Amino acid sequence: MSNLDESLREILAVDGARVAALVDIATGMVVSSVGDEGPDFAAAAASVADEARAARTMLGPSCPGGDLDEITLITTDRIHLARVLSTRPGDGMVLFVDLDRSRINFALASLRVGQMAQAVLA
Amino acid sequence: MGTQVPEDAIARPLRQALLDCAAGRMSGVLRVTGHPSGTIHFREGRIIAAETPGAPGLEVILLRSKRLDESGWDAAFAAAAASGSEMRDELVARDLVGVGELQALLRAAVADAVFAMAFGVVDSCRAEPRAVGPLVTLDPGAKAEWLLIETWRRIQLLGSFPDPAGHARVRVVTVPGAMRPGLVLGGGRDELVALSDGRRTPRDLAFALGRGVYATMLQLSRMQADGLILTISGSAASSAEAANGGRPPAPEDGQRTADGLPRRRKDLAGQPGRADGRELPSAFRLLRLRYGEGTTPGGTR
Repeated sequence: MSNLDESLREILAVDGARVAALVDIATGMVVSSVGDEGPDFAAAAASVADEARAARTMLGPSCPGGDLDEITLITTDRIHLARVLSTRPGDGMVLFVDLDRSRINFALASLRVGQMAQAVLA
Repeated sequence: MGTQVPEDAIARPLRQALLDCAAGRMSGVLRVTGHPSGTIHFREGRIIAAETPGAPGLEVILLRSKRLDESGWDAAFAAAAASGSEMRDELVARDLVGVGELQALLRAAVADAVFAMAFGVVDSCRAEPRAVGPLVTLDPGAKAEWLLIETWRRIQLLGSFPDPAGHARVRVVTVPGAMRPGLVLGGGRDELVALSDGRRTPRDLAFALGRGVYATMLQLSRMQADGLILTISGSAASSAEAANGGRPPAPEDGQRTADGLPRRRKDLAGQPGRADGRELPSAFRLLRLRYGEGTTPGGTR
């Protein structure tokens, strides 16, 4: 098993996490993923990359409020956290975590994911 | 990711060869001839590296994007060569790049190289089951099926643009008047606009900036849809000069002779004849950065 997978498995251990994945923003490619992805995960991951691009467009090229850090998408059942990991080269990567809304404390989960995020590319 | 790739979706010989090498758990190389040609390295049926002049490899990506400087790469290379250790381990041990980051970059580079071959013209594929060690390898290797699905996704997405800026021979030029002085586009687009002078292809831009060739094609296709750039076929490239206010594009290094002509630099002609052992590696790197992986001294690419 790769180090990348190991880091993602640690994130998957967060209570309520269903999927943890690393997605390349420039290409929408799933670099690595663990958990219960389902058959359409590649398309979903590409959409996460599109969301990050759209959010950056909204923030504008000079980002007066600072760089994009995280995107949260909340549905009635799920919470999707997309944490931006800056890379050079490229537009960066997104650490995507699909969480079961009924099982998590959102603030705590976001904090935990944020704490573990930097270790993924280290 | 259980989606099946349709049989005729990707160049049939390449698709079949990838699946055969994976099924046979081959360790060795798959030589792909075509435009661009390339080499795909397997270990026990998994793809651990892929090289093609059609897409930048790890060295080009790390150095051209200025993620690493040449001295760092050279020192890791020298240490790996001297001790027989893996280049990958040297880069990590020297804190030049993180383990996870390197894995991500390598996986992206492999997917990009296979995409470049699949998106071009594949003439034939020949498997050579013997161990050949590429410089930097992906561990664990990528599965052939995953690569095919990813390649298919990319081809489909590029095909969704009315006029994808992807084909190898198109040249890219900034739309006259699209850029106002002081306008910043962000998202890596400003560098593309600056280099889109009507002479470079999407592949050239990818090599110049140390970005993936698919990422560059996708970005250019979006920019074309936004009216920022135009693509022109190779034969129409001279019309780029008209678009550039009647002037040919400025030479990259900006050096000119007293006549105003671009100054030719001796060391760019690929003739390091008088170079000593210290200069040779950087001379050949220059060739690789300009012309892609697989450029060998005195050889063809």
